[in-house]
Amino acid sequence: MSIAMAERAKLEALRARFGAAIRRADLPGNGRMFVTVDPAAIREICRHVFREMGARYVISIGADDRPFSGEFLVAHNFAFDGDGVLCGLLAHLPGDRPALDSISDVVPAANWAEREFRDLVGIEPMGHRYPKRLVLPDGWPEGVHPLRKDVSWDDVPKDFDEDLEFKFDEAPDGCVVVPFGPFHPTLDEPAHFRLYVEGEMVRGCEYRGFMAHRGIEKLAESVLSYNDIPMMAERICGICGCVHSVAYVQAVEDAAGVRVPERAEYIRTIMLEMERLHSHLLWVGLACHIVGFDTLFMQSFRIREPIMWMAERMTGNRKTYALCLVGGVRWDIAPETGAALRGVLDTLEKEWRGVVDAVTGDRNIQARTRGVGVAGPDLVKDVGLVGPVARASGVAIDCRRDHPYAAYGRVAFEVITERGGDVWSRIVVRMKEVFESIGIIRQCLDKMSPGPIQARVDDELPVGRMGLSSVEAPRGEAHHFLVTGEGNRPRRWRVRAPTYQNLQGVPAMIRDQQLADMTIALGSIDPCFSCTDRMETVDVRSGLRRTWTQEDLVRLLKKGGA
Amino acid sequence: MLKDLCRRMFGRSLWVYHANSGGCNGCDIEVLNVLTPYYDVERFGIKLVGSPRHADVMLCQGAAMRSTARALRRAYEAIPEPKLVFAIGSCACGGGIWHDSYSVIGPVEKIVPVNYYIPGCPPRPEAIIYGVAVAVGLVDKKTAPVQFKQAEFPIPRYHPSDLKSDGEVVVYEKLDRV
Repeated sequence: MSIAMAERAKLEALRARFGAAIRRADLPGNGRMFVTVDPAAIREICRHVFREMGARYVISIGADDRPFSGEFLVAHNFAFDGDGVLCGLLAHLPGDRPALDSISDVVPAANWAEREFRDLVGIEPMGHRYPKRLVLPDGWPEGVHPLRKDVSWDDVPKDFDEDLEFKFDEAPDGCVVVPFGPFHPTLDEPAHFRLYVEGEMVRGCEYRGFMAHRGIEKLAESVLSYNDIPMMAERICGICGCVHSVAYVQAVEDAAGVRVPERAEYIRTIMLEMERLHSHLLWVGLACHIVGFDTLFMQSFRIREPIMWMAERMTGNRKTYALCLVGGVRWDIAPETGAALRGVLDTLEKEWRGVVDAVTGDRNIQARTRGVGVAGPDLVKDVGLVGPVARASGVAIDCRRDHPYAAYGRVAFEVITERGGDVWSRIVVRMKEVFESIGIIRQCLDKMSPGPIQARVDDELPVGRMGLSSVEAPRGEAHHFLVTGEGNRPRRWRVRAPTYQNLQGVPAMIRDQQLADMTIALGSIDPCFSCTDRMETVDVRSGLRRTWTQEDLVRLLKKGGA
Repeated sequence: MLKDLCRRMFGRSLWVYHANSGGCNGCDIEVLNVLTPYYDVERFGIKLVGSPRHADVMLCQGAAMRSTARALRRAYEAIPEPKLVFAIGSCACGGGIWHDSYSVIGPVEKIVPVNYYIPGCPPRPEAIIYGVAVAVGLVDKKTAPVQFKQAEFPIPRYHPSDLKSDGEVVVYEKLDRV
């Protein structure tokens, strides 16, 4: 079935079930669906799409559209992975009463997204079971919503209270609170977990993150222009930056109908895979470090370094490549650079086999990771886990195959899956994916032909169009939603990083596990807080400074979880 | 004087504590690179430690955020004297491209006193090693490690909202609040 037919079939199914509640539908025919629905029926429609039509939840977006239509806008995005369709369910809300039914009881994965638009746009998810503050700083006053159009990007409310402490929930009876973070010694970003611990067992946790929330979306909507934003998008995350800049430009191209030259698509694909290589090598190294196997940590960093040098040779920088513009790329790959890249890949493949043998042959690593941090297929579905975490649970989703972009439709590769759902399976998936990435880059180098690398974008981009783009980051699917706007900049841009969903699965993964396994369970999703974001370490009641750093936990587990 | 102090106190061993107050990870992984075989700063006695109580030096990455300012200040206070602070990367040095966003306070020097600045987005591992080596007196400095003060180097700054269009002429109004 072609994509256009699949779209039509989905729409007919929705019309047959909900009739007049489906108010309008746009089917551009490229695997995107925008269905405007009656806000009163949104909960039931989302439940039907999620549970009965088998869609995967992607993200919910709240937008302030009052200057243009006098209304607020909410979009719940779903993906039909088997058919290659990305679907946005849109609801228009009156400008004076922005509220709609929460869907997080029928779609648990929507929990954070709804709390986020409550914080930032001030749209109330009615009936949300846990409408606690998620994104804004602790001292930010209620009722000020920075993503509303009448608030400037540099407005800080006068009653911002710097000393206000975040109100954490009470720990359950019989549990002790172990604070974790926000500054971790092993080079993680700020994020704070309060673990509820009973003896050695973790019974639950509360997460207070979003400490690296930098207001990127607001800056894009109010200060920068279309071609400035890719440079900021890649600073969303220092590890998977290219993913975000590609996802952003693809969302603009999708909305405005810009066609990208073929060579530019190949170059984007190559750089995305380079990024996956260095990210997976980094992660396997860090995972070995967390379980106390420092030799492999050093080895994988030694193997990784030539990739960084190669990236510098190809783009001029080791990270933050400044590669993408709307309609193409800025750096071409010269023939001699391509030859050098092949040489780097050959060495990498050989040396990586050595690392894989060392890891798979090591009983200690397996003993530390098998059966730890298990996420079953049900959790994957409910929380919307993506990437290697989902694939390690046997759920074969991969945007590169399901929603092909750039040159992925023209290369052959395998989607690696494992059955275990535990940390060990995630290690295996990531290690095998390195070989697939090497294969993809080789195919791209073989197949790309000379040609232009930048499309001419002379006309002003059309206003008020919506674009969706999903890119498979090393950690999972990065999803960007964009509405084009006036003044050479988007009206709304929403970034959903893979960790945004994966982090929501962590409480379930660590429940009833040893405290010492917390670090590797958290590490196994390859958390990237800066992507997601965009505390407090003292036990207040006893006044005792009792910060459990990651290193303490590593030390503990080396002692056998004493 | 600072250099003498560094040479005397930290010449053979420099234990660093890493505090990312809200950066993008780019500087983190370059700092990590510095600790691994190719760059290997342990040969200079530089070691990453997990607790601020063990540290001589705090490495700051990322701009100062409203949500982490308090934690950053406490981490700084927990480091015993004498101590040094390095701001690594453009965000920590100057606030980065989001320096005036609603959730960002600005450069980390607004929260903790900074002794050395290593700019770059992200700075190369070589730059980080060079900065640290200058600080501990292993190499001669090529630039003077001075603290930047806005008052001594006034740079006119403009805010996009203050660009007023008057027919064909765009009027730049100098802004004091940046």
